[in-house]
Amino acid sequence: MPDPQIELTIVVNGQPTQVRANPHAPLLTVIEKALAQTQNTGQPASNWELNYGGNVLDPKQKIESFNFPAAATIFLNLKAGIGGAG
Amino acid sequence: MALASRGTDQRVSKRKFAREIREFRRLAGTYRERGWYLAEATFPIAVVVMAAKNVKPPALVMGIRFDYTDYDSIPPSVQLVDPFTSEPYHANDLPTQLKRSVGTTNVQVLGLPDGVALPQLVQHQPLMQAYGDSDTPFLCLAGVREYHEHPGHSGDAWELHRASGAGRLVRLLEIIDRYGTAPITGYNLQLDVKIAGYSQQVVPE
Repeated sequence: MPDPQIELTIVVNGQPTQVRANPHAPLLTVIEKALAQTQNTGQPASNWELNYGGNVLDPKQKIESFNFPAAATIFLNLKAGIGGAG
Repeated sequence: MALASRGTDQRVSKRKFAREIREFRRLAGTYRERGWYLAEATFPIAVVVMAAKNVKPPALVMGIRFDYTDYDSIPPSVQLVDPFTSEPYHANDLPTQLKRSVGTTNVQVLGLPDGVALPQLVQHQPLMQAYGDSDTPFLCLAGVREYHEHPGHSGDAWELHRASGAGRLVRLLEIIDRYGTAPITGYNLQLDVKIAGYSQQVVPE
């Protein structure tokens, strides 16, 4: 039986890490795994965003819905937050 | 108010700077596809040039100068600079203000019948802030030295963001790209039309 897991390259604040994920799970699971693997535990997953091909991805959507190619590199970064008015 | 360096060991800062550069170079091909080019990397300064790839012909939009002195006991300084000279832009020369949409507010219209949806005003907040047109603007973002040095942000200390990598090179580039170069889809053209004489359909015999 083929392995249902897919492997994605997630670049967390510039640091790449390989994440194996269930394609039927929401994308949020990828964020949580990538943060844990890179020991970025200071901020909750909701403060991070995934960017692929210039688009910010909805973490609630299933991973399979994005149809990532095999060599997909996805960028995970801290959100800007609401800045002060200077 | 300048942040004190707290006697940072320069070897530590150099190692952390080297990590930022090494990680950037590891994915340099991917970043190039996005229009990011590392133009300078000599401790403590890194300069990245960003291009807008979605316009034809592509545009070299800006340089971003990072100063990682005493990192990471204090955050990096970040300035938008001329990509050719590395001179910081004045506020009135900025190629982009890094505007972000921060929600909508309903606009009250007197006399509008009940049940009619109120028009909404989309609010934009520039991440680049300055007091005057001739000032050097700063990036109003946690993880940036100028932000944490600003008296208005004394309640949002660098220490609250340091461990999450808020000052890391690629994280800051992602923010600048998202609000700066990625949204650029074309050129704004200004035509200067001058009357050069009269036109006529026929020349009488």
